[in-house]
Amino acid sequence: MNPLSPKVLVVDDDLTNRMILSSIVEQLGCSVVLATDGVEAVRLFESEAPDLVLMDVIMPNMDGYEATRRIKNTEHGRFTPVIVVTGLQDPEEIQRGIAAGADDFLHKPFNPIVIQSKMRAMLRIRELNDTVRTQNQELQVFRQQRIQEEAVAEKIFDSIVHFGASDVPNVRSHIAPSTVFNGDLLLMAFRSTGELHVLVGDFTGHGLSAAIGAVPVSDMFCTMTSNGFSIGDIAAALNDRLKRMLPPNIFFAACLISVDAIEKRMTVWNGGLPDVLVARPDNTIRARTKSHHVPIGIHSSTDFKRETETIDLVEGDLIYACTDGLIDSPIAAGGRFGSVGYEACFDAELLPMRPFDCVLETIREISGDGPRDDTTLIEIQVTKALARAGADPNDAKALRIPSPWSMSFDFNRATLKNFDPIPFLLRGLVEVQGLARHKERLYTVLSELFNNALDHGVLGLDSRLKSSATGFSEYLAERARRLANGGEGYVRIWFKHVPSGEGGRLRIRVEDSGPGFDFRSSGNGSASEGALNGRGIPLLRSLCDSIEYRGRGNEVEAVLEWE
Amino acid sequence: MPVKISPSVDGKEAVIAVIGRFDFNIHEEFRQALDKAKAGGFTRYTLDFGAVDDMDSAALGMLLLLRDSLGGDKANIRVIRCRRELREMLEMANFQSLFQIT
Repeated sequence: MNPLSPKVLVVDDDLTNRMILSSIVEQLGCSVVLATDGVEAVRLFESEAPDLVLMDVIMPNMDGYEATRRIKNTEHGRFTPVIVVTGLQDPEEIQRGIAAGADDFLHKPFNPIVIQSKMRAMLRIRELNDTVRTQNQELQVFRQQRIQEEAVAEKIFDSIVHFGASDVPNVRSHIAPSTVFNGDLLLMAFRSTGELHVLVGDFTGHGLSAAIGAVPVSDMFCTMTSNGFSIGDIAAALNDRLKRMLPPNIFFAACLISVDAIEKRMTVWNGGLPDVLVARPDNTIRARTKSHHVPIGIHSSTDFKRETETIDLVEGDLIYACTDGLIDSPIAAGGRFGSVGYEACFDAELLPMRPFDCVLETIREISGDGPRDDTTLIEIQVTKALARAGADPNDAKALRIPSPWSMSFDFNRATLKNFDPIPFLLRGLVEVQGLARHKERLYTVLSELFNNALDHGVLGLDSRLKSSATGFSEYLAERARRLANGGEGYVRIWFKHVPSGEGGRLRIRVEDSGPGFDFRSSGNGSASEGALNGRGIPLLRSLCDSIEYRGRGNEVEAVLEWE
Repeated sequence: MPVKISPSVDGKEAVIAVIGRFDFNIHEEFRQALDKAKAGGFTRYTLDFGAVDDMDSAALGMLLLLRDSLGGDKANIRVIRCRRELREMLEMANFQSLFQIT
């Protein structure tokens, strides 16, 4: 309801009736707007936006039925009660009025108490309607935000999420397909002293927060491993970083395992993942490491506990780790796979089948439609081959270099309508070693590239618009209008990071769905030169080590290097 | 309402009960209940898990949100009537070091 006083539109062609109704309405504390026929009523309904309408039926120009019909058609989702005022108890008039969309009826002669009661009741319904509508809108916004959160991180490439997993002998892993980042992470790297470091982890939630958290985790895990840090140190460093970076309700349940195949020893830091199991060559469980810690990203650095557990191994032992998505796999018949189901696969009777195959096969059977997208399982066999891989620098060279990674995001036009991805992307990127010092530069480059792609590519705005006197505000207004209108289109952002020495090299590629522009032709004062200026290209050139347009001008790659 | 909040007999403790599935879908309601509880000037907080059917890791995130907004390490939060399956989940994440689980 109007926060001041309800506004009532009184429609009647008879002056006396208008006066009587006005005074009754005013007694209720309402303000009154008067119309003398249906045409005027429809016009005033639009311009005055009343909270309630009292509508006479028989009037010149346009009668009350037609006016009611038109008013009800222009309500724009907000409920405005219309009460038709009929002649003395005429059922047919009442019926026609209700059919035209009226909500209630009154009849002459006027009874102030009846009119006021009906108005009160109707205004109450309107208020209720408004509340429901507001709540609905809030719900819509919330739902939209959630969909966006989940839709935004559409792609994230293998090199960051599953780094090294396929290159180590005697290691097998099952990882969910990574077209959509589901929060699971599996990383492997060799320490210079020969131990294999493995990280299995699971971010809470699927959205962008989780995807962006994977960037520093991958970067730090690989760099620290190759620099000789222990898994306890790595866990502590990851905790510091993620605690700073993630909102309080997002955390990273993870398990770090160090396997020394020469000394036959395993060290585990487990925060929030299912038990790490060690099976003998006959499949039976020899030892386990429970989760002894709170997941990563929860404790402050002073409360964080880096204690690890060490287990002696025997040649041929099998080490198993998984994310809890696997344990939680639903069974088609009801219930969950559970740790009982999981450990039932560790059975000598199953030989020659390994627990690894048994687990995946069982889940496939019981779930009906295969493993869910967030099940990760890894098996490491303690063998001489694994020991050799760790000892031979050539064999496992790729795993020693600090990780290069790449990832890409697709943002469709509907998502970009009310979502600016730049702050999110930046937040993840500055966590990469060395990039934090270049935050300003990175921000400028990223937003220039992105805004060019969105404004000129997806929305088709002409940058020359900005150069006229009142141009910039016109430009912004047009931009907002086109964004709101929706439509097709996308912006794709791709990053590739390669460390070099103390510094690194970041390539940013931005592609849009637009027609592109003629970046090849040059010449002073030409239209394309104007277009270049409009696109902030001189600025980009001054900030990047190189910048190159491709395709039909809808693709651009910028390179940033730092020492 | 999947999230119910009621004061204890002495009025100093807020009892927050979650009914049904404790997952991301009730995130907003949980947050609202939390705001309401904070406005109530309670000194102790209890989460009643007696009517929770199932929960996921988003629920753990919400518990952390509650803890964080009540002062982090200084927060005094009990979790009561916790079934074995739920307790196992909380213990896998070692939440017994962050909450009093009974």
